[in-house]
Amino acid sequence: MPELVLSRSSPAEPVVAVGHLSRTFRGQKALDDVSFTVERGTVFGLVGENGAGKSTLIKHVLGLWRAESGTVRVFGLDPVAEPAAVLGRIGYLSEQPDLPGWMRVDELLGYTQAFYPNWDSQHAEWLREQFALDPTARIKTLSRGQRAKLGLIAAEAHRPDLLLLDEPSSGLDPVVRRDILEAIIRTVTDAGRTVIFSSHLLDEIERVSDHLGMLHRGRLRLCAPLDEVKARHRRIVLHFELPQPNPPTVPGAIRVSGAERVWTVICEASRLDRAAIARNFGARITDESPASLDEVFIAHTGVACEALPDHPIAI
Amino acid sequence: MTPSRLNPSSGTPLYLQLVEQLKHSIETGAIRAGDQLPSVRRMAEDLLINPNTVVRAYRDLEAEGIVVLKHGSGVFVRDSVVARTELMRRAEPIIRAAVTRLESLDLDADEIRRLMENELSLRRVARDRRKRLA
Repeated sequence: MPELVLSRSSPAEPVVAVGHLSRTFRGQKALDDVSFTVERGTVFGLVGENGAGKSTLIKHVLGLWRAESGTVRVFGLDPVAEPAAVLGRIGYLSEQPDLPGWMRVDELLGYTQAFYPNWDSQHAEWLREQFALDPTARIKTLSRGQRAKLGLIAAEAHRPDLLLLDEPSSGLDPVVRRDILEAIIRTVTDAGRTVIFSSHLLDEIERVSDHLGMLHRGRLRLCAPLDEVKARHRRIVLHFELPQPNPPTVPGAIRVSGAERVWTVICEASRLDRAAIARNFGARITDESPASLDEVFIAHTGVACEALPDHPIAI
Repeated sequence: MTPSRLNPSSGTPLYLQLVEQLKHSIETGAIRAGDQLPSVRRMAEDLLINPNTVVRAYRDLEAEGIVVLKHGSGVFVRDSVVARTELMRRAEPIIRAAVTRLESLDLDADEIRRLMENELSLRRVARDRRKRLA
């Protein structure tokens, strides 16, 4: 069963290595000392609210923007200095793919194919049929969801070593979002391929990511394997004998919310001392569970990632 | 036979949810001994989860002796795994015979239930004691 060879033991060199990257726009820090690596064969999920710096970061990885300070390496290369060598191995889909409206679907695919020696026409055709896109349709007549699908074919059909998706499912219906997640899964199942995927939809990030990066106001607040993030955070509910005027100071607490006699604490699992809570506060822990990713995000940033909840994906 | 749905927003890791669902399917007999589980890719695409999550769940089931990974051909439920429903079915005649004999002693339903509870709790105590001594 070759698929099971999909191990995490990847060769030493990461696919993407970002070191101390900073970027300022009109005096505002869009990226502030961001460092992370993405290992081969994994999905790196980048979460953050709108304006957190996700797209800015991705544009640096693509080499569209030069690092003001810090370094960006993709496949070991500087994407600004060697754009051809880097971009030829990347498939990119943005939130609103910039497609020429006057072209037909088949013309765009033919045009894109010319840039990529590895273009897999059979795969492109299979995807086009899966997505039920009419090859003769003009792009300007396509719906937003159909454009996203076309953008996905253009990003995926040359079987890139790195698939970069920047908020691909924003504003799309659940069916198209499912298509996008399936593309991520296909890519990473294809041994050795890597995905970076940014979203403000934590549900999607949690489904497909191996590694999580949490961006907030240009800073990477949390960057760790998803399993570790989940194991590291717990949510406890405390019941006090008497109403508390101030939030209790629980060791390891990242965020405390509540009032009076009932308080909810998101805390670091390793520092959670149940006996001390009972001893010091006279409080009972009435509920304890792993924290959800939403709760972890709010705990670390103070804001909710998803301003408006999208419809959950129908499975 | 693919598990129906996983819930990413619950705190429980997805691979554990998948392990539990597959175990449940095996216990209820929906997946039987010798059956092949879907390939990693198929399972990942059906459930919309990272393939590494599926690999991890399969490895867990392998470590527990529930499935066997046969290289080149897939993941199979071990022949020695007997569905709980099958065990329950085998237990039925035993309990029927026992209840028939107890009723022949003129014991009523409540008394039989109490006897059963009593016997189980005695065993539990004995087991705990053995554990403490060990």
